[in-house]
Amino acid sequence: MGQFNCFKLNAWYRRCGALALVLFGLICAHPAQALPIFARQTGMACLACHTVYPELTHFGRMFKLNGYQLDNLKDITYTTDEGKQQLSITPIPGLAVFVYWGYTELNKALPDSQIPGAQSLKEGLAFPQQVSILYGGKIAPHFGAFAQLTYDDQAGTIGIDNTDFRFANNYILPDKGKLTYGLSINNNPSVQDIWNTTPAFGFPYVLTETFVPSLATPQIESATATNVAGVTAYVMWNEQLYGEIGIYRDAKQSTTNPITGGTTPADSSPTFAGTLSNNAPYWRVAYEYDIDRYALMVGGYGMYFKFYPGNGIPLAGLTNNYNDIAEDFQFQWIGEKNIVTLKGTHVYEKQTLYASSAAGASNPNDWLTYSEMDLTYYYMRKYGFALGVLSTSGSTDPLMYPAAPTVIPPASGTGPGTVVGVTNSAISNPQTNAWVAELNYLPWLNVKMTLQYTHYTKFNGLKDNYDGVGRNASDNNTTYFNMWFAF
Amino acid sequence: MKAKGVTVLAMAASVAISFLSAAAAAQEAAPPEVTAADLADAEITAITRCAFCHGPQGHSNSPIYPSLAGQKAWYILEQLQAFKAQTRGDPYARGFMWGMSAQLTDTQMAALAAYFSKQTPMAGPQAPFSGSRTAAEVAKGKSVYNDGVPADGVAPCSACHQADARGSDQFPRLAGQHAAYLWKQLRAFHYASREQVVMNGIAAPLKDSDMKAAAFFLESIY
Repeated sequence: MGQFNCFKLNAWYRRCGALALVLFGLICAHPAQALPIFARQTGMACLACHTVYPELTHFGRMFKLNGYQLDNLKDITYTTDEGKQQLSITPIPGLAVFVYWGYTELNKALPDSQIPGAQSLKEGLAFPQQVSILYGGKIAPHFGAFAQLTYDDQAGTIGIDNTDFRFANNYILPDKGKLTYGLSINNNPSVQDIWNTTPAFGFPYVLTETFVPSLATPQIESATATNVAGVTAYVMWNEQLYGEIGIYRDAKQSTTNPITGGTTPADSSPTFAGTLSNNAPYWRVAYEYDIDRYALMVGGYGMYFKFYPGNGIPLAGLTNNYNDIAEDFQFQWIGEKNIVTLKGTHVYEKQTLYASSAAGASNPNDWLTYSEMDLTYYYMRKYGFALGVLSTSGSTDPLMYPAAPTVIPPASGTGPGTVVGVTNSAISNPQTNAWVAELNYLPWLNVKMTLQYTHYTKFNGLKDNYDGVGRNASDNNTTYFNMWFAF
Repeated sequence: MKAKGVTVLAMAASVAISFLSAAAAAQEAAPPEVTAADLADAEITAITRCAFCHGPQGHSNSPIYPSLAGQKAWYILEQLQAFKAQTRGDPYARGFMWGMSAQLTDTQMAALAAYFSKQTPMAGPQAPFSGSRTAAEVAKGKSVYNDGVPADGVAPCSACHQADARGSDQFPRLAGQHAAYLWKQLRAFHYASREQVVMNGIAAPLKDSDMKAAAFFLESIY
């Protein structure tokens, strides 16, 4: 009966017009069901926060910014005699499981690492490629977390993955605007970012493990992920203007001090190679403009790293310094049926390599850039495609990127090893360009299938025979099928 | 003769609705009293949470989400109650508002309803404007709104929602609302994914083009 109350139709004397259909409706319409078909779903659907996972909508960005505070469960609370609340936690933790399966085929098999002239298989099956258990949601009022434990088939171990613990609050301005401010403690610079242009949640969203790594990547792109820990402070004005600063320190996983057997302190042993010296500052600015169905963001971010090379060199004195400065943009259009996102990022890294150059392992100064732009389209959040272009370029440095073909030592430990090439650059240059094309299908919003093709037009400096052993850039092309389940 | 017959039927329907509504109203609990402190809390909630979608002061600039500024308090309260009870089942209600409303108390819902109803509706250049809105469709929509579509047996919207569509004690405000939102809701009534007996009946014979035109017209007035 509650349905009738919506319009409180006790005004029969009003203009009646041609309301015959009303009577028809009263006679024929079904009474409201007590609970509709999705009765068990009491929270918000994926589409509130994501266009399609992992890309966030404006609502999702604000949810993250505000410390994952929204929930639909009645809290368990404890209050003192004086009425002061000391506990307010959700009765059921917001746990989720991600499972990735992947199958990849390389365009051309790799040389066998042990037998000259022989070849590897062309394909690789990862079952699973990754399994993650995630916690996401409110811990207490103003405190929330996103934490991920991941089984990685490459390492064969379970380890800490992306983690972001937050405090967030709002200050109401005199004009009834607001400043949203907070702190994030996290283990991956940019994992706390709310747009999908920064490294942690940027394109491509899924990556095969059966691939040939190119020579160089800016430090901020991946080198420090989960090997650092930091705290950042952020503020956002009226959901538009965003600023964030923070510092990170070295926090490597799976390390062992050879003397104590403890995970730290770091020393010059190989396990601590590339240890951050003191604090690495991080900064982020962005402006988002939301109008109609559009969300446009332009911004910049950066980080400054000073690494001790370690690995036989004392963790004191000279360092290798990397100053990463990036600009990024995101254009998002969310229609009723169609969703389009265009975004990109460009990172410039200035490398001042005091330690490496003193050891004769690099030029004194190098530079490296990484550019990425992608267009993503979805129809009904069910069928989609993506097209991205990725480019890395940088200084030619014969010391850092030796031209000589890569040699794999024999498994027996004795002998000359096998000349394989593949990962080196015959011209000592890291230039790598690729196109990535994806077809996506989501039978359900939490089941995603991706067919991804990566085509290299240049690899480690050259299109053809880039390693000096006869391998071409296109030989590293991959066809990758990925299935993602979230439950 | 035909028009007269339709009018008689319509009056009969209204009488029937009136009795049913009176019976329903008798069962309806009085809305909770809202204090100044409740209103102040509601303002904070509106600014720090509701504004994600509904914009500052309920001025939504996205057609995905309705503007709430100036909407009738009784209507907002009823919708919040329906979201919380999960009896309003259109897609975005399920996707967003079932979760958003789950933690709200009766008093908080009443206070939020009061807060948004006190805000000034967007007007003039700030009012929603759909890029694809044309003068011809607005004119067609005006006809649908004021005169209905007799050939399809569609009643005029203005019979209940009044000529200015600014809402009343019985009917919600429609003027100045995002066309895309209104169109989506009309479709939800049409397909009964949003169950509301009267509007399901009204919207059942509505053609999609008429829904769209009516939505454009309503967006153009404030």
